[in-house]
Amino acid sequence: MNSIQRKILTMSVIVLSIMVLIWVVLTYYNQKTQEQYNDILQRYLRMNEVTDHSHQTIIALNDYMQKPSALKLSKLDQNKKNMLMAKLQTVTLRNKDNAFTLTSYINMIDSLVASADLTVMFLGQGNAEQSAEKFEEATRIDKYIAETTITLIDKEVRTYDAFYRGIIEQSTELKRLGAWLLSLITIILLLFTYWFSLSITRPIQKLTVAAKELSRGRFDKPIEVHSNDEISFLAKTFDRMRVNINNLISEIQQKAQLESELQQSKLLLKESQLISLQSQINPHFLFNTLDTLSKKAYLDGSEETSDLIASVAGLLRYNLRRLDRAVTLEEELSVALKYIEIQSARFTDRLRFEQEVDESCLQLKLPCLTLQPIIENAVIHAVEPLEDGGSIALRIYEREQRVWIEIEDDGAGMTAEKVNHILMEGGNADGLGHSTGIGFSNVVKRLRLFVGAEDVISIDSEPGFGTKVTIKIPLAGSEG
Amino acid sequence: MRKSMFVSLFAGCLIILFFTLTSMIKVFSSNLIEPALTSEQHNSYRLVLITSELDTPFWAKVEKGAMAAAEQYGASLEVWGTYGSNRDDFLKNIEVAIVSKVDGIIVQGLDTDEFKSLTKVKAASSGIPIITVANDVPMNESLRRTYVGSDHLEAGSMIARQLVSDMGFAGRVVLMVSDRQEYFQRSRLTGILNVLKPYPQIETLIVAAGDSRVDVASATNKLLNEAPNVDAFIAVSANHAGSIIQEISKRMQVEPFYIYSFDDSPETLTLMQQGKIDALIAQSPEAMGEQSVTHMIKWLTGEQVPLNPDGYFTDIKVLRAGETR
Repeated sequence: MNSIQRKILTMSVIVLSIMVLIWVVLTYYNQKTQEQYNDILQRYLRMNEVTDHSHQTIIALNDYMQKPSALKLSKLDQNKKNMLMAKLQTVTLRNKDNAFTLTSYINMIDSLVASADLTVMFLGQGNAEQSAEKFEEATRIDKYIAETTITLIDKEVRTYDAFYRGIIEQSTELKRLGAWLLSLITIILLLFTYWFSLSITRPIQKLTVAAKELSRGRFDKPIEVHSNDEISFLAKTFDRMRVNINNLISEIQQKAQLESELQQSKLLLKESQLISLQSQINPHFLFNTLDTLSKKAYLDGSEETSDLIASVAGLLRYNLRRLDRAVTLEEELSVALKYIEIQSARFTDRLRFEQEVDESCLQLKLPCLTLQPIIENAVIHAVEPLEDGGSIALRIYEREQRVWIEIEDDGAGMTAEKVNHILMEGGNADGLGHSTGIGFSNVVKRLRLFVGAEDVISIDSEPGFGTKVTIKIPLAGSEG
Repeated sequence: MRKSMFVSLFAGCLIILFFTLTSMIKVFSSNLIEPALTSEQHNSYRLVLITSELDTPFWAKVEKGAMAAAEQYGASLEVWGTYGSNRDDFLKNIEVAIVSKVDGIIVQGLDTDEFKSLTKVKAASSGIPIITVANDVPMNESLRRTYVGSDHLEAGSMIARQLVSDMGFAGRVVLMVSDRQEYFQRSRLTGILNVLKPYPQIETLIVAAGDSRVDVASATNKLLNEAPNVDAFIAVSANHAGSIIQEISKRMQVEPFYIYSFDDSPETLTLMQQGKIDALIAQSPEAMGEQSVTHMIKWLTGEQVPLNPDGYFTDIKVLRAGETR
């Protein structure tokens, strides 16, 4: 059966049975009292009956004496019989207190009957005088009977006094009990009903609150309903739905994030392509010219100049490639070295470059043009402004399943604020002074997108103590 | 808030529960016992003691004695009586007792024709034995079985002898009697006169008065007016002594008179203690009640048939003024 239905049915049955119980008890009690009342009234009525019949007998006797007839005699007999019947009934009224009087009473009735009989007899014998005398006696006895009836009733009242008072007291008490019982049941039922309705409505309320939360978009709160009915089942289902929705939403969110990241990387690529296109005024012409210049210089015996021009041409060629492809660290390193070579020609002794490269790391894939802009940055900030120049160190090694690329200079350094600013990808305008047109922040962004982690690049710097840029690329990530 | 409300509700519930339970206990534990009905016929003897002076201490004592005896023999006894000597009701009571067919009637004898006809004709024809108590009615007039009470003749003699010893052999003696010349009064008078007869110097005046105090007072008054030189009063009927003394005290000292009474009621006893009454006859009312019931039962059981027709006399004695405490 349904749980809530069962609860309601149980409640109704309990209430009904309480009511029925009380009704039965009170009715039984009332019935008992009613019977007592009936008994009492019966007693009084029986006593009165005797008086009535004795009067009737006297009247019939008188009637007969006036004008004797068989009919009247039979009527008299009937009355006498009635009286004797009443007498038999009065015998049942005997109790301790009225035994004496009741015996007297019964004897009086006998005396009356005897007197009546004598009256009739004397009348039949024609003895009018004695008949009248007996009739007078009968009349007196009738009077005595009436008086004794009153005495008996009086005695009855006295004997039953305590009993009557008890009945009255009891009925008053019963009334009071009724009032108390009613109020008690009312309060108990109210409490019970309240508790009972709470057991039904509380889970519903919880469910309502949970539904409201859900409608506000909060899917992380578990729905807990402890009850043993259908509401609990409903709540469980609801909770399962919540969990499902929650999972779906987080999935969608992840997808959206991925998509936005993809979008961003595309945008950045476009930007760098645009910038390189701007510098492609006549790239092939420039490239061919530079090549020609290199050969010309070589033929003129100026090997140094020829090499320099070849480096510039190489750098240019590298720069002209498609930027959206990952390259190996080896290629990156060679471009960076060409750049250093060009800059060494410019700064001569002022630029001191050191490199420590673990050859085994060179097959690592990384975005195109990442090393060169960082080194260029170091040159711009640590070498160019200083008269004595500066030194730049490049270290590539493997540690903790990652390839570490460190570019360290001994320039003026940066404040922590500036470092943060760069790492927050805020410096877009940095690319202006760069040879490749790609600034530091562009590199940072592209690296982060490529590896998919924030900590791919870090900068250690302090004003006056140089700057160290560290790029950490996971080995596993290089295959992706 | 919510908690306190709940607690108060719960407390209220408990209080109401308490009251309901007490009320319930009261209702259901009170076992109203209906006076038990006795269906068996009453087997013990039903006796009736009828008196016309229910209000006097004398009869209260008779009743007490009779009741004690009835209880002892297991007989049921009812005392019917009238107050203030209402004669019609008294006679009616006797008739009611007869038509009620009681087993025995113990009655204060009344020396009237109605009484005699009732006892003689009705009771005798119904076979109901009658014993007179305290006051007798001669057997041949009432057909009573016996008499239980004081010997009034002897009582008269005793008072008279006391009078002679107090007053001497000469003097005027007033014998105050009730105008209802009852048998016991006649016996007392006879007893007194029998004793006084040998003394010719003692003159006796018999004055009859009504039963009420006013009647007695006026009779005394009249007597004192007509014959002031009286030496002694004997209140032959009960209740007269007090009125006589009251009347005398209105005009002269009471002490010089010799006053005697046949009544030992509290009033006369007090008067005797005050020295106003010189002597009185003390009867034994309790013995009367007891013996009358005893004899009735004995007659009914056939243990003692017939009863002594002269009667069974109970103790009497003279109480003198000096002897009472």
